[in-house]
Amino acid sequence: MATTTIPGTPASHDLSGDAKRPRSRAQRAPRTTVMAVPALLWYAVFMIGPIGAIFVISLLRWPGMLARVGFAGLDNYRAVLSDSLFWSAVHNSVVQLAVAVPVMIVGAFMLGYHISTRPRGYQVLRVIVFTPALISASAKAMIFYGLFAPRGMINHLLSGVGLDGLTHTWLADTSTAFGCIVAIDVWAGIGYTATLYAARLSAVPESVYEAAELDGAGHWRRMWGIAFPMVKDYVGVTVMLQFLWTLFTSAQNVLLLTQGGPGNASTNLSFLVYQKAFLQSDLGYSQAAGVLLFVFGLIGMLVIRRAFRQSY
Amino acid sequence: MLLLPLYYLLVSSFKTNSQIFASPLSPPTSLSFGKFASAVSDARLDLASLNSLIVTVSSLVVVLLLALPASYALARAGGRAAALIERAFSLGFLIPTFAALVPTFLLAAQLDLFHTRTFVILFLPATSLPLAVVLLTQFMRTVPQEVEEAARMDGAGSLTILVRVYLPMVVPGVATVGILSFLTYWNEYLYSLVLIGPDQAQRTIQVAVPTLRSPLETDFGILAAGTVVTLLPVYVAYAFLQRRMEGAMIGSAVKI
Repeated sequence: MATTTIPGTPASHDLSGDAKRPRSRAQRAPRTTVMAVPALLWYAVFMIGPIGAIFVISLLRWPGMLARVGFAGLDNYRAVLSDSLFWSAVHNSVVQLAVAVPVMIVGAFMLGYHISTRPRGYQVLRVIVFTPALISASAKAMIFYGLFAPRGMINHLLSGVGLDGLTHTWLADTSTAFGCIVAIDVWAGIGYTATLYAARLSAVPESVYEAAELDGAGHWRRMWGIAFPMVKDYVGVTVMLQFLWTLFTSAQNVLLLTQGGPGNASTNLSFLVYQKAFLQSDLGYSQAAGVLLFVFGLIGMLVIRRAFRQSY
Repeated sequence: MLLLPLYYLLVSSFKTNSQIFASPLSPPTSLSFGKFASAVSDARLDLASLNSLIVTVSSLVVVLLLALPASYALARAGGRAAALIERAFSLGFLIPTFAALVPTFLLAAQLDLFHTRTFVILFLPATSLPLAVVLLTQFMRTVPQEVEEAARMDGAGSLTILVRVYLPMVVPGVATVGILSFLTYWNEYLYSLVLIGPDQAQRTIQVAVPTLRSPLETDFGILAAGTVVTLLPVYVAYAFLQRRMEGAMIGSAVKI
């Protein structure tokens, strides 16, 4: 009695089909697809449903969690698109991506290459480099909260080398708050990507570099001329990964460190979605911005995919 | 550059504010665990760790209970429906979980599970289902068909085959899914913050630690000690599973 154990199959149905089943099973693959149904349902309720709901809510007038809901049509989108706050958030997100992603990718490659050459103590280095991938957003934010504090390490180091003029209230200053967020993005993303590159480069036989050295290629040349083309297939993947992470998950850093301020200096798109929903209780606006963020992410992903197509 | 913040965190957790301000980088003068004790009692990190543990372990159980039968089914079924279901899961890689924060919050309220751990335990497994199903399906496909047929001849049912035949053969896949899910669940912050809220009896450790900041004067030593506490389980796991953990994360990145 095989089929009685399949969840979702009624027992009576099972008995009637019992006579024929064993034979057909021997000929074809067993009909086990039903076993995927619980997972599919779960996925639909908690992932697909909510994603679809974003689009619906973006069309509703919903000025607070407990307020009466009305239909707004495209009013929310009109409100979002004519809001200067939205555009400054777009500006911030674009700057964030344009700075963080390239710095991360180039830095990660150089770091990954360095690890793959197995310098002294590279085992320890590997653990350190991988750490940001292991720790949570709130832990990262708390570490940097201490670093950027008015009397924290960074200011101490600056005055230590006689650069008193450069000390700042980093997170509370309009000109530096968002820079701090971007710095954390880079710190958080560089190590993981470097590990990825290092793993790939460790497969390159030593003799390749030796041959290049004989041909007179310097260190820099070996790094970019030989090692880089080998990891090219990862570059597209990592650019896409970091693009999505930076775009979507940096709301957590903003929330934990600057709350979008001072003023709106560090409000980016993903934080705007959070802020409008949970701090200002305007669900319609929040989800309209959310849909635009989603579309932005999708377009970015397609562009990146296309740009790196030759390397796949 | 990468190391400095981590070193700073570690030494700060043994120092007082004035020591941190005066000499941030010098090693601590004494290895007293006073700051850890204060962190635990100030933010009730004992309760919070327990909550995190409950959420993490329960979610892991749920995700495996859902993903294992599903991936077995998808690996062995040849039909059109199965292909469609597999495609649906692999598209899940493209969904950034952050995007659905607000609707998920509303769903929790609808189900009357708002401000409880329970909803998070139901929700978190869904976020890692795409990876779990796609990865395990690939592992299940490597199990030879003949082994299954032999078991069926002996009268074993699908569930028996899954548990007795497939499970032992896909242990590496289960381990990979387990590691990645463990990291996601333990480190989850934003959803836990919004869905569980500030209740000390329910909140997870990631939500509890940032409350050690104070708008007037934060004790950075206590904050650092609390942060170190959140890192410990992850590092313990990493110490045991270094190779597998890196392999898992590299593999999952390339899947996207």
